[in-house]
Amino acid sequence: MVLSGWAAVFFWVFAVAALVAALLTILARNAVHSALFLISTLVSVAALFILLGAEFIAGVQILVYVGGVMVLFLFVIMLVNVSAEERGHELLFNRPAQVAASAIILALLSLGLIYAIRQGYDGLLKRDQDRITPAVAAAQPPTQPNATRVMRISQDTQRVGGSLYRYGSIPFEVASVLLLVAIVGSVMLARTTKQELAADDVDLELLPELIATEPELAQEIEKLAETQTKL
Amino acid sequence: MSQLITPVLALLLQAEQPTTRGGVIWQGIQHPDLSKFLVIAALLFIIGVAGVLTRRNIIVIFMSIELILNAANLNFIAFSRYLQDAGYPNAVAGQVFTVFIIVVAAAEAAIGLGIVIALYRNRETIFVDKIDLLKW
Repeated sequence: MVLSGWAAVFFWVFAVAALVAALLTILARNAVHSALFLISTLVSVAALFILLGAEFIAGVQILVYVGGVMVLFLFVIMLVNVSAEERGHELLFNRPAQVAASAIILALLSLGLIYAIRQGYDGLLKRDQDRITPAVAAAQPPTQPNATRVMRISQDTQRVGGSLYRYGSIPFEVASVLLLVAIVGSVMLARTTKQELAADDVDLELLPELIATEPELAQEIEKLAETQTKL
Repeated sequence: MSQLITPVLALLLQAEQPTTRGGVIWQGIQHPDLSKFLVIAALLFIIGVAGVLTRRNIIVIFMSIELILNAANLNFIAFSRYLQDAGYPNAVAGQVFTVFIIVVAAAEAAIGLGIVIALYRNRETIFVDKIDLLKW
């Protein structure tokens, strides 16, 4: 797998964009800026996916991450109060000793990773040498213009769909159950005390404590009791 | 097109071996291969881990976790493409795995942000070093 020509240029552009935006994500003071930089990273990585011939995954990445997950993040940022951090009243990072320790760990980790990649990749090339050379010569043209000058559509999506349903149909169904559980769980987690009361989901022993912290809950409980006696 | 393909073929067939170290590096820049993708993914992973280890804001920590998952996705896709070029044209298991990673990441973000909302309601803070209920 070797890119060349414009693909190589785009590779470097998007790789550098992804790394710079990722760095800015963890350095930005404002959480909304972090979210926007993360979106840039995700879009750049999606572009790298396209360069690798994975158009379907690139589309899913943009739709699910940028369209779904990041909107969720932005909503939560706006629900919680992060202005103290923005104005500089709160520290952005952990204590200096912790940051130094993690910097050392990360330096070691990056050295190890890059060494492993170099070694492993050389070994991989040596193992697959006889297989790659004829394959590249034979299979250059998934998206080359054919005689009619029309780009042939890459068959990537078709193949991914086929594999997904042929070999991964049970994990696929389990994933749908996982998403359902996640929806129910996050609704349960994000309820207010009032909503928990309405659902009759509060431990009776905890009620006095709750009322002590939130006095308006007492009226709420009376109102609920009235409606229940009416029923 | 052929003038683009020929140098690649030459490179792969080791017909023209660049002798100097600079020549090797320039070849690598002109023709990024699997190892470049792996290095980019490793750097993304490290940036993500740095965010998790150093930031105090729990929302930014979640974003760093998304970065880590994306680095893993990039690895999967790069290896899937490598296998496709190495003579297994239907090797798309990496892409299937990536679909599942994206699903799990979405579920994790929903649950995690629900926990953040519940936590913020009870403790009025989103800084991880102030959430120390379980500390001895």
